[in-house]
Amino acid sequence: MKKYNWLTMLLVCIMLLLVACSGGTSTENGNKNNGKSSGKNPATTRGNELVVRVAGDPQNWDPIDTYLVAWSTVGTSVFEGLVSRSLDLEIQPGLAESWDYVDDKTIVFKLRQGVTFHDGEPFNAEAVKFTFDRLLGEEGQKGPQYSNYTSINRVEVTGEYEVTMHLNSIDPVLLTKLSGYGAVIVPPKYIEEHGAAYFDMNPVGTGPFKMTDYQRDKQVVIERYEDYWNKDAIKLDKVTFKVIPETATALAELQTGNIDIMTRLEVSQAPSAEDTDFITLMDVATPTAYSIRFDTSKAPVDDVRVRQAINYAIDKETIVKEILGGYGNLISSFQSELSFGYNKDLQPYPYDPEKAKKLLAEAKIAEGTTLDFFIPGTDGTFKEIAQAVAFYLEEVGLKVSINSVENTTFQSELIPNGEAGHMYKNGWGGWTLDFDNTAYLMYHEGEFWNPSYKNDEVEQLLAKERATNDSAEREKIFKELTEVLYEDATEVNLYSEVEIYAVNKRVKNFQPPHDGRFRFENVTVE
Amino acid sequence: MQSTISSILSEEDGCMLSYILRRLSHTVLVIIAVSLIIFFSIRLTGDPVSIMFGAGEPSQQAIDELTAKLGLDKPVWEQYFIFMKDLLMLDFGTSYRSNSPVLDLLLERAWPTIALALGGMSVALTIAVPIGILSAVNKGKPVDIFGRIFSLLGISFPNFWLAFMLILIFAVKLKWLPVSGFDSFSSLILPSIALGLILSGILVRLIRTSMLDVLKMQYVTTARAKGIREWLVIVRHAFRNALLPTVTFVGLQFGGLLGGAVIVEQVFSWPGIGRLIVDSINQRDYPVVQGGIIILALLMIIVNLIVDLCYSLINPKIRTGRGDN
Repeated sequence: MKKYNWLTMLLVCIMLLLVACSGGTSTENGNKNNGKSSGKNPATTRGNELVVRVAGDPQNWDPIDTYLVAWSTVGTSVFEGLVSRSLDLEIQPGLAESWDYVDDKTIVFKLRQGVTFHDGEPFNAEAVKFTFDRLLGEEGQKGPQYSNYTSINRVEVTGEYEVTMHLNSIDPVLLTKLSGYGAVIVPPKYIEEHGAAYFDMNPVGTGPFKMTDYQRDKQVVIERYEDYWNKDAIKLDKVTFKVIPETATALAELQTGNIDIMTRLEVSQAPSAEDTDFITLMDVATPTAYSIRFDTSKAPVDDVRVRQAINYAIDKETIVKEILGGYGNLISSFQSELSFGYNKDLQPYPYDPEKAKKLLAEAKIAEGTTLDFFIPGTDGTFKEIAQAVAFYLEEVGLKVSINSVENTTFQSELIPNGEAGHMYKNGWGGWTLDFDNTAYLMYHEGEFWNPSYKNDEVEQLLAKERATNDSAEREKIFKELTEVLYEDATEVNLYSEVEIYAVNKRVKNFQPPHDGRFRFENVTVE
Repeated sequence: MQSTISSILSEEDGCMLSYILRRLSHTVLVIIAVSLIIFFSIRLTGDPVSIMFGAGEPSQQAIDELTAKLGLDKPVWEQYFIFMKDLLMLDFGTSYRSNSPVLDLLLERAWPTIALALGGMSVALTIAVPIGILSAVNKGKPVDIFGRIFSLLGISFPNFWLAFMLILIFAVKLKWLPVSGFDSFSSLILPSIALGLILSGILVRLIRTSMLDVLKMQYVTTARAKGIREWLVIVRHAFRNALLPTVTFVGLQFGGLLGGAVIVEQVFSWPGIGRLIVDSINQRDYPVVQGGIIILALLMIIVNLIVDLCYSLINPKIRTGRGDN
């Protein structure tokens, strides 16, 4: 008898479960229908606050200690530099109202007046000098930003609201770099009073928003700074950045209205996101380029014909279409088409397996020669690309052995020491949006990221490009440089990244940033 | 006063105390072994300095200075002794990434980590104990088949899949619970279920098997013969004796959950120690990895000790070592 009681209870439990499940299905349909017909948007209850998903947390808000996009997503609203880069990637006045080149190595900046830091401290020439002394001094030299600004010799205070910047050498990319993370202006008194460690966690700048709450790996809250010099442009009261590492989770948060904007939507998630009535997708070209880089010291890819053959053998267009859902732009040099120095006249290597076979035959490469291809193990998309590449190369008689390795080891040891096989995945952010930085680090002999490539012509062009501020001249040099690199086939340029944003429709006037640096001027919510 | 204490501390308690002390002394050896392994193995690959400079073009001087600042210019053995010396003072060092003391970072994560481990374990036990017992008692009957199928499903489901399904059903569709984060009690429910369901699969099997063994014992038959009510026989006489392997398993799993719930932490944006350590390994943030692993090792030892003490509560024979009499 007792046993039967247990059994009855269990049966009741199962029935309850079934009822719950079927209830779920009907609610699911109900919600869907509701969502489709009435367009009910659960996020509208939040008021004048925007919630943005970020994938990671920079752990440290001191601008000279970081190079992470995760920093700039938030940091761009908290700090400002002398100049800033608009959403259309134009350099525009920031904390400097204007600037003049006195000569190639001397720039005078006229500073904006009436600006204060979030703690009330006034912004003036002393703050600019303090910022650059700190960046170029002992503290800054131990950080990742210093090396971007080594062309600056010193900053001199030449008036309460005027500074003169003296350079060690001509730096054609300096203004762009001054809009970068490392050169944002920091408050001297605040840092001296509280110390660097406190500043790391409690950053203060002059930007449109002040940071009011930071919970590591959880969330960052910024609120409108009422004394901001351009406060009329800021309509939002508050922006919360929620750290959600997993993209699928972020999409669920977006669909339930808990966040308004998510970055880095995966191609496979696009249909599901579009299915929700109140979500819209936006895409934006980014400065990030991807390639398969050759280690030119290793046979058989030390032979330029082999490198060209591999370029002809891979159908990049199909890869972008099929694997990336079209979210990627074909490139002919290792930079995004947004970058200064991108050569639009140069077309990517066409897909021509016959030509590839001919070149391989000329180079006397035996059928079935195996190439080692190194990729980082965590990158699912690139793993698919690698498999497609292996397939294409097999079609022309080359075997590919794909080595999936731990990402940090890959980047900090295998690549720089020339231990990443015949070829490896190469990805580059190109934050200056100028080929200078990328080209130098990739092709200049002895650079960390360049274990083996050496070409005197490239060296000469790189030196020439760095020696002038004349944009037209530099453009010409880059044109030549990209042609040389193209002929030398240093890599298989695959694509530049197009990032997909999923945004709640209540958000108005939001433009996804090319460089990942969110700007909230004129953004409103319903 | 002293006589009172000694009368309270019976001979058995004295044994117990020395047992605990002996176990704790082993801890020191374990920590030294763990520290050696983690300290040297993490230095085998990757270079924190080059990671910290990122995409920049640092001068050799800058690299040298940073290396010296982090103390990485010294011979590895010397670095190890400095680390151990600091460890004695409970100084775990400072994170390379955040410049924050490692202990602060770990303490920040301690509560969410423990909450999730407790939550997951509670769910697992709540589900597994009744199903396991019912399965054993009704061996071969539909309840048992249900229990075995449940257990098989629990073992074979990948937990990230289950986590996403839970989010999809209970957060996105039904909107009963939050999707992710660590804000309130309700945000603990889904990750606990995701962890607990998987664990309960194995637990059901374990409890079922040990119950079946115990139910064959003579003392169960005796108890039944005495006319004790069936549920009392099952709970008091059978289940209590079947608990031993379960407790071992639960203890080990609990220790594992403290640092090993990385996937569930990731899916639910849970600020736990597991995620912290994985992120730090990727960044080669040596102090955080070392500190985190040592703390986890310590917790594991403590949990194991508690498990062993539980044994003696469940079965006093173990404590006195008079099992054969």
